[in-house]
Amino acid sequence: MAAITIENVGKTYAGGVPAVQGIDLNIRDGEFVVLVGPSGCGKSTLLRMIAGLEEITEGTVRIGDRVVNRLEPAERDIAMVFQNYALYPHMTVRQNLSYGLKNRGTPRDEIVRRVDEAARILEIGAYLDRKPRALSGGQRQRVAMGRAIVREPSAFLFDEPLSNLDAKLRVTMRGEIRTLQRRLGTTSVYVTHDQLEAMTMADRLVVLRQGRIEQVGTPLDVYRNPVSTFVAQFIGSPSMNLMSGTVRAGEVRVADAVYPAPGVPDGAVTVGLRPEDFALVPGGARAGMPARLVNIEELGSQRLGYFRVGGETVVASFPAGQVLSTEMTLYPDLSRLHLFGADERRIDPAPLRAGAV
Amino acid sequence: MVENHRWLDVLAHLTLILGVVIVAFPVYIAVVASTHEPADFVSGLIPLLPGDNAVATYASVLEGGVSSQMSVPILTMLKNSLIMAVLIAVGKIVISVLSAYAIVYFRFPFRQLAFWMIFVTLMLPVEVRIVPTFQVVADLGMLNSYAGLTIPLIASATATFLFRQVFLTIPDELMEAARIDGAGPMKFFRDILLPLSRTNIAALFVILFIYGWNQYLWPILITTDAGFYTIVAGIKRMADVVDSEPLWNYIMATAVLAMLPPVIVVIAMQRLFVKGLVETEK
Amino acid sequence: MQTKRTIFGNRWLPYLLLAPQLAVTVIFFLWPAGQAVWQSFLREDAFGLKTSFVGLSNYTRLFDNAEYINALKVTLVFSVSTAALALISSLLLALALDRTIRSSRVYTTLLVWPYAVAPAIAGVLWWFIFNPTIGIMPYLLERVGYDWNHALQKGDAMALVIIAAAWKQISYNFLFFVAGLQSIPASMREAAAIDGAGPVKRFWTITLPLLSPTTFFLLVVNVVYTMFDTFAVIDATTGGGPAQATMILVYKVYDDGFIGLNLGSSAAQSVILMGIVIALTIIQFRYVERRVTY
Ligand SMILES: Nc1ncnc2c1ncn2[C@@H]1O[C@H](COP(=O)(O)OP(=O)(O)OP(=O)(O)O)[C@@H](O)[C@H]1O
Ligand SMILES: [Mg+2]
Repeated sequence: MAAITIENVGKTYAGGVPAVQGIDLNIRDGEFVVLVGPSGCGKSTLLRMIAGLEEITEGTVRIGDRVVNRLEPAERDIAMVFQNYALYPHMTVRQNLSYGLKNRGTPRDEIVRRVDEAARILEIGAYLDRKPRALSGGQRQRVAMGRAIVREPSAFLFDEPLSNLDAKLRVTMRGEIRTLQRRLGTTSVYVTHDQLEAMTMADRLVVLRQGRIEQVGTPLDVYRNPVSTFVAQFIGSPSMNLMSGTVRAGEVRVADAVYPAPGVPDGAVTVGLRPEDFALVPGGARAGMPARLVNIEELGSQRLGYFRVGGETVVASFPAGQVLSTEMTLYPDLSRLHLFGADERRIDPAPLRAGAV
Repeated sequence: MVENHRWLDVLAHLTLILGVVIVAFPVYIAVVASTHEPADFVSGLIPLLPGDNAVATYASVLEGGVSSQMSVPILTMLKNSLIMAVLIAVGKIVISVLSAYAIVYFRFPFRQLAFWMIFVTLMLPVEVRIVPTFQVVADLGMLNSYAGLTIPLIASATATFLFRQVFLTIPDELMEAARIDGAGPMKFFRDILLPLSRTNIAALFVILFIYGWNQYLWPILITTDAGFYTIVAGIKRMADVVDSEPLWNYIMATAVLAMLPPVIVVIAMQRLFVKGLVETEK
Repeated sequence: MQTKRTIFGNRWLPYLLLAPQLAVTVIFFLWPAGQAVWQSFLREDAFGLKTSFVGLSNYTRLFDNAEYINALKVTLVFSVSTAALALISSLLLALALDRTIRSSRVYTTLLVWPYAVAPAIAGVLWWFIFNPTIGIMPYLLERVGYDWNHALQKGDAMALVIIAAAWKQISYNFLFFVAGLQSIPASMREAAAIDGAGPVKRFWTITLPLLSPTTFFLLVVNVVYTMFDTFAVIDATTGGGPAQATMILVYKVYDDGFIGLNLGSSAAQSVILMGIVIALTIIQFRYVERRVTY
């Protein structure tokens, strides 16, 4: 077990394009950190630099108290799980699990003990003598996990390990991985582009954008206080509604409604509201937004209404039985209203106090 | 089948049977000839039905000494051919798999140059550089030796490209996983890459074995000592008789023995053979 | 050029791995080829005592030499006839095989093994069959009034080497044609059949055009085969005779260099042959679909 300290790390590929820049991140011992972001944002690059599969062109990476920049992957005391599992096709499951231990000169009975232990934990004992070809996707995934845990490394690195599984299995496996990680207490860095996977698994989320860290925080923190329109849209599904508004004299005007925005400088802003933060009856908000219903999506547990509000499309979610009509008024939850400036950064209004309005 | 044309099916079978007959005809004649006594050829026409002298013919051919041109036992020639074919096949596979590994899994100065140097060998078959190549081998003192018979032939662009293709289709992650598992370059090569290329190696071996066995010009140039004759090259020397009619039954017995090993390899390993042929595309 | 995403960082290992291949290539391929080029500019005097630089004169002499012009013509006739014979007969067999699904494996086995027969052996076999005194073919030909003697008649000699060379190549072509036919989607031929095209029309309008990449590939391979690998066929049958009737270019290089010891001329011929192989290789890689990519 070890902490991973990343200081000012950057990576420029041969072509001269910086893929990752100025990353500072402290991953605590035993923590499960998820790197999330759209395709090409540099998640894999960062993870592979930690693994030692990609040369670090800038900054330092420390695992425990060792700087590992110049160490071979095998010397870094990490284990990695790949998207395509990368099991050795010509070896049985048992040989796959043992290979790394053998290379390290682990005594034979110790190898047997650890492989059996991993097989018990992952319930793969029945297929220890099969080749990977004869396993289902989920079983291969478990074997890949097994190969990581037999090593008892100080950190697990995962690069989209669930993306080759079907949706249902993905949900099961993400729970299993998390349970296992808690039980072993091994520091983990997990890469995914799936925001739901990121939200559900992470102790802490790291949102990457074009090779830089956009935001770091617990899933709820990031969900509730996205630092930019980018994060606001990336995290949460359906994503946050963004509407254009204008601030004048401490009030924001959006879609014909006016809401308090104390201390916010005058000018154009982006107003963000999550689909679940609308009500059909006036609550705290004095003014509602006139909305015309254009479509309804039934999700079973809830229904999503698509509305035209001002010139924009807004999604709002309601409980399953909620009746919706063509012309309605949507009342936003003011405590959940997000404002973003022209630079797409979050603006926090001065605290709203009862009576101040 | 698209639709039924009985006559087309019949025609197809007739064509194929005719093809098989034409293809087999010369070999049949050779086998038949090898079962007769020399006297049977004096009549003026090749015998068309098997005789009863097969055992005697083959026994004396294998032992050698049946005439002045056939002083070398065929057994020796068979042994030489086998050594040559196996050494060439193994040699080509070994040096090609190593160079393909270097080219695919390493990046180093002059990599491109090395690749093109290997490529160029495609364009320089022995036949177009006979005299100077012979001189080099002679200067190196490799005439009349197994080294001379094999080493100059074991560079192979085709085999190198084949292995390169095979390696490129092996997922990158496998090598990364192996590195994380503590395997260095040679360990990875031995433990992962070679086992994964097993069928390709086997298929290539079949093709290269035949290639080596069937060499003709090279052994003729390199061997003057009858102890190093290969059977394919040796048969010509036997047939070249100036003073008398050739000993047909012995020559044909030798021809049969010369084609038997590679033909058996092809038929026994037809699947591997076809795979090797189609993949190397020459 | 493609490599892997991650690569091993060893400094010397790649050179070590390449060393055997490159050593053989340099010593037995590049150096002799260079020597051939160099010697093609030299001439030895009649006693082999003095060597002088003669520029392109070895080349110009070649093209003034009736024997060399003859060898060019012979090579052309031999190559084209052999390739045509081998391609057409193997295509017929492959088409026939394509109609017989059930027994195709048996036929394939019975047809592919000549690939394993050495060209030299193929030559010896046919030489025996066509032997003017005891061969079966001359005997049959005599019945129909033809007097076969490839040791004396130029046309007979050419026919003999063509038959022997084509016989050996049929199985190779056959395998590739079969693979080519199998890769034509059945739906294409079915669609044509539904459109009312008969089997012959379907062959000309669907099968043959779709087979053209295979055919072109085989054409190049066959030409290379007839120009170079058939050395053994010639040597085992006619030895280039009678009266140079089967003296193909490759055989002439050997004949002039080893038997005639005319090194300058032989070297110039080698260089011209190299030019031909290089051209054929480039054609093969530029215009023929190959799995090898650079
Ligand atoms: N070997 C390479 N050479 C050059 N550029 C590369 C290389 N590998 C990745 N890149 C570039 O670096 C950037 C980050 O790539 P990376 O693979 O880290 O993205 P990612 O976030 O993992 O994306 P994905 O979700 O698609 O896997 C991309 O713009 C990519 O094109
Ligand atoms: Mg990635």
